[in-house]
Amino acid sequence: MDLFHDSPLFTGVRQMLGAFALHQIRPIAIEHDQDESMPWELMRTAQKLGLSQTAVLDGRKKLTGVAEDPDPTKPKSQARLAVIGSEELAFGCAGICLALGGSGLAASPVARMGTEEQKAEFKRLLAGDDEKGRIKVAAMALSEPATGSDISGLTTTAVRDGDHWIIRGSKQWITNGQSAAVYVVWAQTEPAAGRAGVRGFLVARGTPGLVPGKKETKLGIRASETAQVHFEDVRVHADMMLGSPAVPGEASGGLADTKKMLDSTRPVVAAQGVGIARAAYEFLLDRVRGGSLHGTPMASHQHIMFELADMQMEITAARLLTHRAAWLADHHLENVAEASMAKAYAAKVAQAVTTRAMVLLGEEALAPGHPVDKWYRDAKIYDIFEGTGQIQRRILSRQLTGTNPT
Amino acid sequence: MDFALDDDQQMIVDTIRRFADRDLRGWAADADRAGAPPERLAHVAGELGFFTDAVPADAGGQLEGAYSHATRALRGFELGRGCAGLAALLETNVEPALAVGRWGSAAAKAALFASLTAGGLAALAHDSRGTLAVEPDGAGGARITGTLGPLPALATASHVLLAKDGALYLLDLAGVARAAFAPSSWRAARWATAELTALAVAADHVVSRDPAASAEVLAWARASLAARAAGVATAAMEHAERYAAERVQFGQPIGRFESLIRLRDDALTGAAAARLMALHAAWALDANHAAAHDAASRARVLAGDVVTRATIDAVQIFGGYGFVNDYPVEKLMRDARPFEALHGDERLGRVLAQKAAI
Repeated sequence: MDLFHDSPLFTGVRQMLGAFALHQIRPIAIEHDQDESMPWELMRTAQKLGLSQTAVLDGRKKLTGVAEDPDPTKPKSQARLAVIGSEELAFGCAGICLALGGSGLAASPVARMGTEEQKAEFKRLLAGDDEKGRIKVAAMALSEPATGSDISGLTTTAVRDGDHWIIRGSKQWITNGQSAAVYVVWAQTEPAAGRAGVRGFLVARGTPGLVPGKKETKLGIRASETAQVHFEDVRVHADMMLGSPAVPGEASGGLADTKKMLDSTRPVVAAQGVGIARAAYEFLLDRVRGGSLHGTPMASHQHIMFELADMQMEITAARLLTHRAAWLADHHLENVAEASMAKAYAAKVAQAVTTRAMVLLGEEALAPGHPVDKWYRDAKIYDIFEGTGQIQRRILSRQLTGTNPT
Repeated sequence: MDFALDDDQQMIVDTIRRFADRDLRGWAADADRAGAPPERLAHVAGELGFFTDAVPADAGGQLEGAYSHATRALRGFELGRGCAGLAALLETNVEPALAVGRWGSAAAKAALFASLTAGGLAALAHDSRGTLAVEPDGAGGARITGTLGPLPALATASHVLLAKDGALYLLDLAGVARAAFAPSSWRAARWATAELTALAVAADHVVSRDPAASAEVLAWARASLAARAAGVATAAMEHAERYAAERVQFGQPIGRFESLIRLRDDALTGAAAARLMALHAAWALDANHAAAHDAASRARVLAGDVVTRATIDAVQIFGGYGFVNDYPVEKLMRDARPFEALHGDERLGRVLAQKAAI
């Protein structure tokens, strides 16, 4: 196991996306945070670079120039590429990182569970521009108003009607919820079957009964759109239900697959937390290197420097946990515990580092548009979405004893 | 030792609690979105005695006899429960008025009190990092250059009491341009910065050159900030407790999960401790106790930690709903920041002071 040396592939992606974050993302981050607006032009630029909305379907070949080895027994690089890239993009701006990757949340279940026809339909629906001349985006519609952490309690239903399904329900906290050209919505098809009855459906924008709802005003990640979505007797052809029996392998298209998919995204989310923490740490370090305090160099004060040393330790530890979880995934090894550890710890570090940076910067960080204030607000969501810190500890607890503590 | 409130204190607590629960909480969300206080604030709060409570009665204010920092801390806790941004405006005149009343010249008193009794605001600034330049004018006064703020109330304040290098200066801001803004925290508090270019402070507006006076003023502010911070932390957990009792996940109200019980319990323990430390510091200030300044500083250190942790944990308990502004706790998390940032990093100040003394 070599966790400590990058391949030229990883180094190249880190350098390319690091430069993209510094020169393309940072200059517009505050504006989009304050306006609560999506960076549509940058999203188009990113798509041209290979950070495409359907990258997960293309194996990121366009971004890296390297195709994954098709041999399923050989190690992959996709999980490590994802965490390396995500840290860099979130270092630029977590909200913009999520705007760039929001469609990937919807593309993942299509890649994992969809038939070739469904994958083609998903790509077709995302091709070209939307009615406002923007690139098209997708949305993954899973969470509901009464169902945050407990995704087994979904109440959105899908009822069979001949060759169609009729979907009814409301979804909450949906990334790209207002703007999506295509939604992957999760609904209960057999209430008696519990989790096994929950299935995913591809629903195109404009389908009668699909009503994008209120856009949320959020504490952070404000360049990423979050909205409610309502499904009022939306009629969808049966071919658009993910997980046809024709799909080989273990993928059933049910909620269990969705949970596995969430496991696979946790290292990526953890890496974004690392990116935010690193952003605040490097900002503070830059201030300290050139700063003075009542005539003495800031760097001469243990009070400040030991805080920076602690931050450096914590960020490095969070990154190592994250890369280990990704390495396990790339080597087809179970990483449930490692992914949860990485996600929970990186969220904690992101919050702690940004909070302490705010304190050390004093009144300066209270000014409007200050980047550390933004990172402080952005960091909080990393302990909430994709499984709260409590859910990660619940997963770890279950791994330890086989039971869920309450 | 008696921890009970007397009848007057209890009446003040009850009155301010009603004001905080009904008015401040009622106004808080709209004021936060607007980045400005409601127009009614001045009238309603003025009737309750705010804005001129530290201005001597013979100058048109309401202060007769000694000012009670203990009473101020009691009310500050309740104001913090209501809205930290509006509370900052309600408390902003106290330090300038008390300092000028105690140490100021007749000219300084006349200028400041005329403004405050006419509805004006003043603010306290502390140049904790030594970024402002003060140049003697050769006639006992000074000229001040640099960026003032960011400070709450500065956008509309007629005067600022500046604490710098052990001295207190009363700055008359007439004609001084302000860059007003609504930051993430205390958005309704009329924040601004001001670029000072050799701003003249006449000798009779140098309120004090005694470091003890400057330390006293900063101790008043620290005790007040600590009390309000404890109130914000308490409010965060009041909201979280109600939500956790209603929100059901995995077949039970989330408030029954031991991990969330612990988050709330630890936060409330911290808030109770911070409130007691703030009250103790205020009592010590009222009694001219030798340890008063240190008590106020320690209270602010603890209260800063507590309000940060409690508000972050309140958002955690609310989950996804905590992150959106339909619910009150994300505002509280934003509002926690100035309690640690205003007037400088309290821990750093303590470390530097103790290092210098060794």
